[in-house]
Amino acid sequence: MDKALLRRGFYAVAALIIAALAVGLYKAKTDAARTDAHVRRLQQQIEQSEADLRALRAEIAELESPARIEALAEDRLGVTVGSESAVLPEAALARRLPPPRPQRRDE
Amino acid sequence: MKPLGAGTVFAPRESAIEALAEAAPARNRVRFLALGIFAVLLLLAGRAVQLALSGDPLAEPRRVAIAATPRADIVDRNGVLLATTLRAYVLTATPSRVWNAAETAAALHRVFPDLDRAATVRRLSDRSRQLVYLRRSLSEGERAQVHELGLAGIGFEAENRRVYPQGAMAAHVLGFTDIDLNPLAGVERGLDAQIRAAGEAGRTVRLSLDVRIQYALETELDAAARAAGASSAAGVLLDARTGEALALASWPRFNANDAGAASDTVRRDRVAGDVHELGSTIKPFTVAMALQEQVTSSGELFDLSQPFDIDGHVIEDHQPIRGLASLRDILARSSNVGAARLALRLGAARQRTYLERLGLTQPARLELGYNEAPLAPRTRGRRDVAGLGFGYGLAATPAALAGAYTVFANQGAVVAPTLIARAPDAEVERRQVFTPDVTRQVLSYLRAAVVDGTGRAADVSGLAVAGKTGTAEKWGAQSGYDDSRNFSSFAGVFPAHDPRYVIVVALDDTREGAAGGAVAAPVVARTLRRIAPMLGLRLEPGPAAR
Repeated sequence: MDKALLRRGFYAVAALIIAALAVGLYKAKTDAARTDAHVRRLQQQIEQSEADLRALRAEIAELESPARIEALAEDRLGVTVGSESAVLPEAALARRLPPPRPQRRDE
Repeated sequence: MKPLGAGTVFAPRESAIEALAEAAPARNRVRFLALGIFAVLLLLAGRAVQLALSGDPLAEPRRVAIAATPRADIVDRNGVLLATTLRAYVLTATPSRVWNAAETAAALHRVFPDLDRAATVRRLSDRSRQLVYLRRSLSEGERAQVHELGLAGIGFEAENRRVYPQGAMAAHVLGFTDIDLNPLAGVERGLDAQIRAAGEAGRTVRLSLDVRIQYALETELDAAARAAGASSAAGVLLDARTGEALALASWPRFNANDAGAASDTVRRDRVAGDVHELGSTIKPFTVAMALQEQVTSSGELFDLSQPFDIDGHVIEDHQPIRGLASLRDILARSSNVGAARLALRLGAARQRTYLERLGLTQPARLELGYNEAPLAPRTRGRRDVAGLGFGYGLAATPAALAGAYTVFANQGAVVAPTLIARAPDAEVERRQVFTPDVTRQVLSYLRAAVVDGTGRAADVSGLAVAGKTGTAEKWGAQSGYDDSRNFSSFAGVFPAHDPRYVIVVALDDTREGAAGGAVAAPVVARTLRRIAPMLGLRLEPGPAAR
């Protein structure tokens, strides 16, 4: 094969490779940037959700605090600390409990 | 003009041919170089294609981080949230972008009525500053309110805020931080390193407290302290086998979310931060020391009917015991004369050794950031030794006293109190002080003190409380001991047949006649009635708690 033709072919292949390289790198870079932005967005969402979750947990803890439960129990159920409703004789307790569960054969 | 002469190009001379022959190796090197560059380009192209087609190249190394916080959540032994870090905002302003400082300040004042309007106008007008901070620790709701105002030049920066969802409950234990989350008191300070490390790792710090028990103890202590007109009060409940503190109560109380509004006196931890002469709650140790050192026996009888004169200093009992008294009587009826006699038989050196081994001469080791050191001077004479026998001349914290009482639940071994929840199989450090026989003996006397002695008000039907009351007169700088001001306490263990828990209740500066049996012992009974089911202990039906 003619040397000049070979050289031209070589140049053409090299040019193609360089072009492919440039396009590939550009695509990789843009994909990476897009992914990075997506990851950052997700990270922010996670942080926001975590912050919301923490606030909700704190609110639950406040709502379930013994002081509030005691006040609600007194107000709505009429149960006071140390009342007869809190300390029951065993017989009274038995009357309030559901009947015993029938025993199964495998128990 | 001819660019090239015919002879120059097309008719090479011999010298030119020779030159070409010489240049051949150089050309080969260029070819090799070109091939090398081509190979590198090929590799790069291949990698580029791989990167372009093989999906997200960042997916592998990047992990979704756990939301780290500067300070970890603190939870009780059952996982109930006690302290957490929430997102908050700083209200900022860029003065150069504020249109009208007065109107902006007025609008902000409507949202934050306590905001200093004149100062805000001044700051908003200060164009020499790029950014000014107007207010910190804004909640999400406050931020939204300001945001809706649509004020030019007003912005927000995110920050963290420490929040205590239980409010005033366990505030002295938890402590608090400053606005920059630097720990200032309590567990926040005592466990600062652990809290920071756990925050970074996304873990929680678990305390030994149980909020249900803490609430019951605090509520009862609050009611009793108000009724007795006390200046302060403390309550301790320990799992004596492990040393875990299930409740530590200090009175007066404050809200940890607004710690700045409380005075230093109110914020002071009374459990490990206040020392007092303990009074008669020391007597069980005096009796145990005497039995351990065999300077007495359980069968010995004493004549305690007369005051006891020691080098001109007279010791007497509030209600002298008529007839002969046993060791049981000395504790059940809280005889100062009996305890003084036993202490003198022991001597200063042995007495000191036992007090040291009980942990009453060193600060407690609770993780509260600060444990007050006891005032435990060396005894200088018979009078000091005798006084120490019934609780004078040694000032310690309620936490230290509770730690010492663990001997009655551990067959004579002392276990140091802690606020950190222990794993069920964790090894507990025990230091043997008394033999199991001596401990059992003294325990039976402590039970007698509750059944028919000075601690009757602490008795709870079915729970078998064993303990000792204490009423120490307060020391006045000028007047000496003042019998109109008392430090009234009760220290005990339960259930007496197999003790597992230690309880200490102490009220400071109670009125004349407000003995430990009258003001502290009832707190114990009321608290135990409330918490017994939480501890898996069964009560017998009895009179209502109040």
